[in-house]
Amino acid sequence: MKASASAAQIAEAVRGGKVKARAVVEAALARIDRHNPMLGAFTEITAARALDQADLIDGKVANATDPGPLAGVPFAVKNLFDIKDVVTRAGSQINRENPPAGRDATLVSRMEAAGAVLLGALNMGEYAYDFTGENVHDGPSRNPHALDRMTGGSSGGSAAAVAGGLVPLSLGSDTNGWIRVPASFCGLFGLKPTYGRLSRARSFPFVASLDHLGPFARSVRDLALAYDAMQGFDEADPAQSKRAPEPTAARLKNPVPGLRIAVAGDYFAGSAEAQAHVGKVAKALEATKTVILPDAQAARAAAFIITMAEGAALHLERLRARPDDFDPETRDRLLAGTILPAAWVARSQKLRRVFRDKVLRLFDGVDAILAPSTPMKAPLIGQKTAMFGGVEMPVRANLGIFTQPISFIGLPVAAVPVWLDGEDLPLGVQVIAAPWREDICLRIAHQLEAAGVCRAPVAKGFAEE
Amino acid sequence: MAYKPFDADALIDASAPLLQLRIAPEHRAGIKLNLKTASKMAALVEQVKLEDDAEPAPVYRP
Repeated sequence: MKASASAAQIAEAVRGGKVKARAVVEAALARIDRHNPMLGAFTEITAARALDQADLIDGKVANATDPGPLAGVPFAVKNLFDIKDVVTRAGSQINRENPPAGRDATLVSRMEAAGAVLLGALNMGEYAYDFTGENVHDGPSRNPHALDRMTGGSSGGSAAAVAGGLVPLSLGSDTNGWIRVPASFCGLFGLKPTYGRLSRARSFPFVASLDHLGPFARSVRDLALAYDAMQGFDEADPAQSKRAPEPTAARLKNPVPGLRIAVAGDYFAGSAEAQAHVGKVAKALEATKTVILPDAQAARAAAFIITMAEGAALHLERLRARPDDFDPETRDRLLAGTILPAAWVARSQKLRRVFRDKVLRLFDGVDAILAPSTPMKAPLIGQKTAMFGGVEMPVRANLGIFTQPISFIGLPVAAVPVWLDGEDLPLGVQVIAAPWREDICLRIAHQLEAAGVCRAPVAKGFAEE
Repeated sequence: MAYKPFDADALIDASAPLLQLRIAPEHRAGIKLNLKTASKMAALVEQVKLEDDAEPAPVYRP
């Protein structure tokens, strides 16, 4: 199968006996071998395990046993997911000294139960405290559409692997935008589900209040297939909802008559470049209404404080014992986080509840809200400042300004990739719905994809193999 | 609360012993920069009026 084959195409071919899962996996391993040194996507390749799993799938097909909806589909996970017998480094040097994981993360197990084949672990910003995809220990993940540019982070390797055609599916985490920002820079579809929807069990945490896990893909159908495979209650994650699975893939093409879609105004309209991309999507959806998310700037600020404080508390012992072993960019923020006044953190958590109540009221009048994923296209790797609204500002601190208020209150988002005519780089748009309405996000994303408004190709130079 | 400049060195010097943190001289500038950013964020958070009975978001379910 070519690098551009979708998960759905691979699964159909494997299930129908037209191609062996082993052949699919061997081809993907060859692509990784060839392109990963350029992309910096994989930090661990689990080839032996992958070939064993592929043989298992081929055995099921031969025996007429259902091999699962993702039969033979290669995937990989951000290196904060536990993989049995692999050390979960979470982008750090320090955690490399831990023993290998005793068992897989819940979401890895669920993907494999659906027939998918794990190919390895992916690069990420240290301890996920990152919007760039840069990593001082492993080197940066590189944007397949322009190798001198950032993938975005912290799920940078997860985006590079899919946009570079190494695998059709990957998993990442999103605490403040860490699926949606890389999806924007690398031109991919990404899903940040509702907070509490997917199990986080046996993934290395960062901010318990805000951590989410979710998939990246090059098609909405693949995104939905992966999401559906991973749904279901898991008592090992105390934050997870007991809500029953609500499958989406079979309903993607269902018409959504009378769907009310609005564009987020005010705070979210602060970047002309981003607004041009939102405008293309809004026009296609005939979304003419604007809604204001009240106190969005304060919500983003509160997410910033909760992140800093909870992250610092998580790493306090390591900050005491070995501060020099951290990435300096991460360390100084975490050290500052250790001494934030408790009143700021408590107030931020109260604001979270109040902001949630205000935003949920908006959904009485609309079914989905559009907002940009990032204020700009992918910056150069190492770039420290950029122009925001005519003012030169730090890049790292501002890439998440549009994603943070949304994950702060755990709303589901499908990130969709938008390319303007004649442009070489994409910029993503968030399709945001009320809690538990991932189906609406995905159906709108599918409609945009079908209309040719959004597309997620394998990057040039990585496509035809 | 509006943002007001503050003595970040004094805050670091007072807090680090309480937390048993050793602050290397070369880490100090980065910590100060981040504290300044955080205090600006806190000022934004405080500009939203909250009632006394506003519940924080995480609710413990026994």
